[in-house]
Amino acid sequence: MAPTVPSAAKSASPSQPSGKSEVADLKQQLRQLAGSRAPDADDQRRDVFKRVISCMTAGIDVSAAFGEMVLCSATSDVVTKKMCYLYVGAHARAHPDLALLTINFLQRDCRDQDPTIRGLALRSLCSLRVPNLVEYLVTPLATGLKDPSAYVRMIAAVGAAKLYHISATACIDADLPASLKALMLSDPDAQVVANCLHALQEIWTLEAANSEAAAREIETLYSKPVVFYLLNKIKEFSEWAQCHVLELASKFLPSDNNEIFDIMNLLEDRLQHANGAVVLSTIKVFLHLTMSMTDVHQQVYERIKAPLLTLVGAGSPEQSYSVLCHLHLLVMRAPMLFSSDYKSFYCQFSDPSYVKKLKLEMLTAIANESNTYEIVTELCEYAGNVDVPIARESIRAVGKIALQQYDVNAIVDRLLQFLEMDKDYVTAETLVLVKDLLRKYPQWSHDCIAVVGNISSKNIQEPKGKAALIWMLGEYSQDMHDAPYVLESLVENWDEEHSPEVRLHLLTAVMKCFFKRPPETQKALGATLAAGLSDTHQDVHDRALFYYRLLQYDPAVAERVVNPPKQAVSVFADTQSSEMKDRIFDEFNSLSVVYQKPSYMFTDKEHRGPFEYSEDLTNLAVGAEAPENVISAQRYQENDNDLLLSTSDKEDNGTRASNGSSTSTYNAPSDLIGLSSQTPAETSLINTGGPTYSSQSNFSLDDLLGLGVTEAPAPPPPPALTLNSKPVLDPGTFQRKWGQLALALTQECSLSPQGAASLMNPQSLIRHMQSNHIQCIASGGHPPNYKFFFYAQKDGATAFFLVECIVNTASAKAQLKIKADDGTAAEAFSALFQSALSKFGLS
Amino acid sequence: MLQCIFILSDSGEVIVEKQMVGHRVDRAICGWFWDYVLANAAGDPSKILQVVVSPTHYLFQIYRNGVTFLACTQVEMPPLMAIEFLSRVADVLTDYLGDLNEDIIKDNFVIVYQILDEMMDNGFPLTTEPNILKELIAPPNIVNKMLNVVTGKSSTLGSKLPDAAASFVPWRTTVVKDASNEVYVNIVEELDACVNREGVLVKCEAYGEIQVNCSLPGVPELTMSFANPTIMNDFTFHPCVRFRPWESDQVLSFVPPDGQFKLMSYRVKKLKKTPIYVKPQLTSDSGNCRVSVMVGIRNDPGKPIDSITVQFQLPPLIVSADLTANYGTVDILADKTCLWTIGQIPKDKAPALSGNLRLEEGLAQLHTMPTFQVKFKIMGVALSGLQIDKLDVKNTPSAPYKGFRAQTQAGKYEVRS
Repeated sequence: MAPTVPSAAKSASPSQPSGKSEVADLKQQLRQLAGSRAPDADDQRRDVFKRVISCMTAGIDVSAAFGEMVLCSATSDVVTKKMCYLYVGAHARAHPDLALLTINFLQRDCRDQDPTIRGLALRSLCSLRVPNLVEYLVTPLATGLKDPSAYVRMIAAVGAAKLYHISATACIDADLPASLKALMLSDPDAQVVANCLHALQEIWTLEAANSEAAAREIETLYSKPVVFYLLNKIKEFSEWAQCHVLELASKFLPSDNNEIFDIMNLLEDRLQHANGAVVLSTIKVFLHLTMSMTDVHQQVYERIKAPLLTLVGAGSPEQSYSVLCHLHLLVMRAPMLFSSDYKSFYCQFSDPSYVKKLKLEMLTAIANESNTYEIVTELCEYAGNVDVPIARESIRAVGKIALQQYDVNAIVDRLLQFLEMDKDYVTAETLVLVKDLLRKYPQWSHDCIAVVGNISSKNIQEPKGKAALIWMLGEYSQDMHDAPYVLESLVENWDEEHSPEVRLHLLTAVMKCFFKRPPETQKALGATLAAGLSDTHQDVHDRALFYYRLLQYDPAVAERVVNPPKQAVSVFADTQSSEMKDRIFDEFNSLSVVYQKPSYMFTDKEHRGPFEYSEDLTNLAVGAEAPENVISAQRYQENDNDLLLSTSDKEDNGTRASNGSSTSTYNAPSDLIGLSSQTPAETSLINTGGPTYSSQSNFSLDDLLGLGVTEAPAPPPPPALTLNSKPVLDPGTFQRKWGQLALALTQECSLSPQGAASLMNPQSLIRHMQSNHIQCIASGGHPPNYKFFFYAQKDGATAFFLVECIVNTASAKAQLKIKADDGTAAEAFSALFQSALSKFGLS
Repeated sequence: MLQCIFILSDSGEVIVEKQMVGHRVDRAICGWFWDYVLANAAGDPSKILQVVVSPTHYLFQIYRNGVTFLACTQVEMPPLMAIEFLSRVADVLTDYLGDLNEDIIKDNFVIVYQILDEMMDNGFPLTTEPNILKELIAPPNIVNKMLNVVTGKSSTLGSKLPDAAASFVPWRTTVVKDASNEVYVNIVEELDACVNREGVLVKCEAYGEIQVNCSLPGVPELTMSFANPTIMNDFTFHPCVRFRPWESDQVLSFVPPDGQFKLMSYRVKKLKKTPIYVKPQLTSDSGNCRVSVMVGIRNDPGKPIDSITVQFQLPPLIVSADLTANYGTVDILADKTCLWTIGQIPKDKAPALSGNLRLEEGLAQLHTMPTFQVKFKIMGVALSGLQIDKLDVKNTPSAPYKGFRAQTQAGKYEVRS
């Protein structure tokens, strides 16, 4: 109906001259209409307004017409009014003086008979966001909150939050939060209640930074009466408000199991809601509530499985990816529980490749004795897929499944079939996997070598595949008839080999081959070492030199170094730490899950400013005020870990046990809080994580690794004050001492920028401090604020030091409160503590 | 919390910009987004992820009929909430404007602004029920017709407002006028299936929806029961469905919204039978690949199977394709897709497609096998076997007319070769 102005549609850029003449024309027309009382003036005004808005949408700067628009704003037509509000809202900021003109008609509209007009006017009034007009806002808002129409109250509630953003003091001075709270707990209209909740959360979270009172108020929002009041009304809320209330409930800490079951009973039917956002929020509540109850937690998984799978399949394609990401997270935590649903994760041809990738990972994770055959059969079908990255991915998946299974007989055959497909990328991927398989299951070498021996190294272009083949040639040269000759021909083409990785492998393989079949390899070895020594790549050169000197020193020693008896690799290290996974799990139903990274890793600190719902420190389950919370927080974490062990890690343990190699375990326990006294070596081993394999050999390499490790954590400097490395203090005693002792020192110090950045969660700092003999008894918080309670004991004495440490990662500052049994040593301890803290993140 | 919503045309032009919070989002972000679309999906927004991270914002996008709905935020929020909300915006706009495309939005952008204004305030979704929205903002055709009425007596429009907003059934206005006293129930199922190389049915599931079109006066009470509710593995309900009767007796009890809505959706796993078979065979040697595809009825559903098509992507490294069918038409589309349109299966012969693919020079055998995507439609039958037992309507002045329909169509129905 409204013909779009042609020139506006064309000019996408505001700088185009046609836009300017258009605006001038519009101004002219508006001026004529301003005082007009002609019968069709309303219609004309409406048309001109439409054109103005249309120009605005096209990106033309129409702010020049502000004065004229305001002059024309006196109208009784609702649609024209709305357009006018829209215009004024967009431009008032740039024209604060002219905006004053609009106040008059907006205030008048706020007293209109029609609740729609009252509501709209109030919304627009709050959307002006001009600081010097705040005084005109407070009264209409206060009246709006008491309006007989729910529509107006609902808008007023949100308006209060908007006012807070414009001027916090005006909002607080007018005591709007108190009115909001009263309204939230009494209003009959669910949407008003929801909007009050939303506004209160926004206001108090920001206010909590400056005022203790607001911090307490926040706590009351998460208290039992409020949470239950809202949950009991849940069905009355709109689906979006339900999400909001559920989010609140997920942060609620129930005091006993009855409360947990009450909430779950209340919310059970929300899992059947048509809106996926509600379903996910409910799932979050269920998961968080049952964290401490292992059995129930597993039942929850069983219960939420069906709704999630339905959402993935039946929802729109847009939803299904996000849901799949969440499902992925759950599957990775508890693969066992999903093992019977493997068919749901079969890739459809029409799935986009990012969906296929997730599904492949899940299929890999849930494979167990009962379904491996079906899954591997399915994965093999993808290997011939048109989508090459997915074909690669599925071959890797088959390999991973083989690595985590006990009975790999059938899988090895399948892998070997891939080699016969004669497609370069399939061959390359498969070779890498066969290599890994042989490292874990040397007993399969016979079958594999027979097939691998037939592959011509000339057909493999990819460095990874080539390196794998060379590794096998070296490792199994005694079984492969022509290994020395293949290696020799590879050495001849040394200069054409561009990848240093391949050249490194070639060096080692020739060495290994030499010790197994000396006469046939001697010539090749000489050529290899010569080529290696003149290589431009640093590592290749160094390794060649190393081998050369070793051989010169004593060939027998060289053989022991290069060809030691190998122990099968039991577990390959995981790339994503379990700590990280836990962190993402805590952020269930958020963007973190979609990115598979905790939010601190991708959220831009600069922009979080006023919008951030930073978790307030008082929210933590810490502190002298709440002794039972300290313990419950600990238990919570421990239980969480138990649960993990009982599900996802079960298999790893099984494998480890069955292989009988109990060298270092890699599953970093995430509950170091106040528990176990980990030695620095162990701690740093966890941190080094990465691609190193856990139980390499019982040989020299281990020593090397061991050396590196003890150096890594930067032992505390030898201070005058030495601390007991294993002090014991139970939370109750800590509590009592903290209450009794006087404050010895208060200090502010700063962290290194790296430290602040790496403080992703409390555990990292706790470990670091532990390596400095300072133990943590309780911790908590969310970015950017963390709170810790540490203690330490003077070596050889009974005196304890207690520290409350609040760290803000955004500013890289820490506030310390130190209390000590022996006040005289407090200074020395403080220095020690600060030096330890300042080194955090640098090691 | 969403900070801004943009609606973009399929050339990346901003059609509508709606700022939600005080912190304005510069529309330069749309330029960034469009560059991203061009770089990652050759200008087709339907092919990129729904959640995109830009240097300054997190973007959510959905794509409908050439129109991209783009939302920006800078804070952590439930992604599904944003995506669901955008989908809802698209649905509401379609409902309002009759259709959804670039021109319609441009012609009605004032309505679009008004709707967005009511649907979201300060970055949080507010009113998304079409019934309530229609009381706040008149749909365009009515605006045209009753322009003068509305402008003259705007207060009458507003005074209706609190009815539904305060009502305990927010999806229904208390007074539905002009009801024709009819209710139609339609079961729509989609069959997803996957048949592997050996012709074994790997997976077969049905997703169903029960769509209701309701035109009843007053506040009617409906109850619906199924002959075999246990076959359903999982279900989601419209907010109007009461949970308890379903829990105890598997009875759907509800006060319906007025007009068309989705009463419930469900999933039936592990179906054993497919109505038709598609048997592809590809054999290749010395640079040629012989293709043969047979289609026929496997389990007769008792109603005619309509609009059967078989579609597959020709493998890469093919020089030429010569494919013919003894029934229906074969088209090779521009993107190297072969589409075989069969329609109904004739009584006298079994449709078969056959022919030859020439491979590229130097390639003896075909390594990547195509996947055949099958489509069909069967009216009058829900293949999962779900049956409605009865539908009772109470609280209406006279017995309404009740109509029932069912249909099944192929969803992701794939046959590998």
